[in-house]
Amino acid sequence: MPENDASLQKTLDFLRTQFREYYENNPIELPDRFGRREFAFVLFGGKGMIRHLAFPKKTDFTAFLIDRAPMHAYYSSAYYKKPDASTMQEKQWMGAELIFDLDSDHLPNAEKLSYAESLDLVKKEFKKLVEEFLLGDFGFNEKYLDLYFSGGRGYHAHVKDPNVFDFDSNERREIVDYITGRNLQDAIVFKEHVTGKKEYHGRSFASGKSLIMPSPDEAGWKGRISRGVIELVDEIARSSDPIKKLEEYGVKQTDAEKLIQDLSEDRVKRIREGLLDQSKTIRRFFLNSALRKTAVSLAKGETDEPVTCDVKRLIRLPGSLHGKTGFQVKKLTLDELKEFNPLNDTVVLSDEPIKVTLRQPFTITMNKETFSLTEGETEVPTYLAVFLLGRKIAVLF
Amino acid sequence: MTELAVLAKYPFLNDTKEYIKSIGLSVEELLSHPLYERARTIGIERLDNALKNTDVGDSCVVTDSDCMMVVLSYPIARMVAVCVGDTYFKKRYALGEAYCAYRNLLDESSLFLLDAAKELGLHAGSIEEKQQIRLYFKDYLRFAPTHYKEWNMTNRTIDRGFVTVSQKDLARIILEVLRKRINDELDARECDPLAIRMFSEDIKRFQNIVSMQKKKMEAAPVGKLSVEKLPPCMKYILAAIQAGENVPHMGRFALVAFLHSLKLSPNEILKLFSTAPDYEEDKTRYQVEHISGKTSSTEYKSPGCDKMRTYGICPQEKIDELCRRVHHPASYYSAKWRQEKEKT
Repeated sequence: MPENDASLQKTLDFLRTQFREYYENNPIELPDRFGRREFAFVLFGGKGMIRHLAFPKKTDFTAFLIDRAPMHAYYSSAYYKKPDASTMQEKQWMGAELIFDLDSDHLPNAEKLSYAESLDLVKKEFKKLVEEFLLGDFGFNEKYLDLYFSGGRGYHAHVKDPNVFDFDSNERREIVDYITGRNLQDAIVFKEHVTGKKEYHGRSFASGKSLIMPSPDEAGWKGRISRGVIELVDEIARSSDPIKKLEEYGVKQTDAEKLIQDLSEDRVKRIREGLLDQSKTIRRFFLNSALRKTAVSLAKGETDEPVTCDVKRLIRLPGSLHGKTGFQVKKLTLDELKEFNPLNDTVVLSDEPIKVTLRQPFTITMNKETFSLTEGETEVPTYLAVFLLGRKIAVLF
Repeated sequence: MTELAVLAKYPFLNDTKEYIKSIGLSVEELLSHPLYERARTIGIERLDNALKNTDVGDSCVVTDSDCMMVVLSYPIARMVAVCVGDTYFKKRYALGEAYCAYRNLLDESSLFLLDAAKELGLHAGSIEEKQQIRLYFKDYLRFAPTHYKEWNMTNRTIDRGFVTVSQKDLARIILEVLRKRINDELDARECDPLAIRMFSEDIKRFQNIVSMQKKKMEAAPVGKLSVEKLPPCMKYILAAIQAGENVPHMGRFALVAFLHSLKLSPNEILKLFSTAPDYEEDKTRYQVEHISGKTSSTEYKSPGCDKMRTYGICPQEKIDELCRRVHHPASYYSAKWRQEKEKT
């Protein structure tokens, strides 16, 4: 059966109805400083984004959601004197939360992974961001951290510490640079250490040098890089095919063979004790790989600039539904994050069966049930139908 | 009460302000009484030194009366700076005061530095067992010259929100706090009519020096570049660099790439930068040649208006009609040339 305008219309109508039902039965908790935020929506079948909206009253807002049942709902991380003014100048910026957006799209090798695998990977990355950087290095109080599953392919962290509200774009960029380990100078991490001395004519010269790594429990990037290096060495030492492992880290085969030869048991022991050898390739390799391992990949906005630097960013409204998955944008505590599986825990739509037509075979475990779907017409629960239709894997006739 | 000699070195401290108050002088006495003639002379010296050497300089302080004159010279210099009424002049003077304080702070104990830092609103403390200083990362971000790689937070130790800094680093950060604070204070003050009368000659002299320097800058033989026709963003960055302000890396980059796109040679670009107080010919030359593709494989393109906005270096309050019609700083510049041609 060919897809046509009628089936597209039917799909949109179905999705809108499902979303409306959700908004009718689930009142959305409003963000703080509600009246100072700009809201924006994308409607099913609508062209572009409706922006510059503000809701003075909570009832207006609830009515809007039910009436329009938007595909995507956003609000501003910034607050303004006049949030509904149409230009930034007129809006009069008053401050903004610090936002981190992690998306599986931005992880290395993400395109090779399934949806579930990439969600898992981005979760690990997100935990690293929150525990190591936001709570650890920056020392933000946990009460100022709001964590969300984005409803799509990633996670968001909102820092609501009043100290960050007036950060300008440059100051935010500096934080991003820190978290991504940009401009890290290896001389600051690895220190040269003289291991032997020789004397000629009463003057002493260094006869041997070794590189010393900082202790793994040191604060900031120094300790982090050391931990990364040790983890890396262990990983290679434990691996049944160390050369392949190294190739995964982007080391050429010939270099990998040489590196493995060099990594004798004795060497590995020395590295664990913090002694790296002089070889420049080894040093480079360890620094770069440990950096990649321990830094966080952040999502980029339209201008290829990390979302965090934008002081007037629109972000998904917590509690709303993501139009491409039907998942809820869900608030999480750090504890909940550990066990959190978006494919089970953000399913909020009904399980009423409905017939959809798949364009291709598709397998997914959702709501604790595994679906192995073949191409063509098939009956699935509504929540899965919304997911398949939203991601254009299926259509409705 | 802190020693008078210390007050003379750091006239911005609260103790100094208290001391001045305690003398109970009226503005009129300060500006016209023969007893304070020396304070007035030192005040003018402060301004001259700031312009010439980027440092207001130390006056000879031996006796208590010397100290008092130096202390009193500070409010006098400020009053005159306000009356000169020029942004560039005020910036230079603020930098001169801040730099002088920085130079003196380098010789102080860490305890003194910490007290001064706290008084200036910085959240700093010490880690006693390690003899290190900790500074809240927000203060660090705001005031440290992070456009230098070694100042990037990545290359610093930061733990639970506090960045470890050396005494010298803290003094450098205090310089920045002072520069900004003094500059803001000068901007907020009105000119005192009596000060205009008493210092009319000096004020005129300073105004002349400033306008000469500006003319020199504008007429600086930088190819065919016309500073007047620069778009507001580039004008703003250029002025900030020449006044010795901290311009974020992206700003410096944008300006160099822009000037390069106007076919200015690295030498000509360097000439524009050379008036900056922290100018280092070698470093700047390397960077300029890198951006212009002389020493690197890429010739960087000058960022467009969108990018300038994202990076926060499009001065929203300064954009004009022409800005609204163009999407790239370079098109602004060429449009200005066209407008002039059409007129003639």
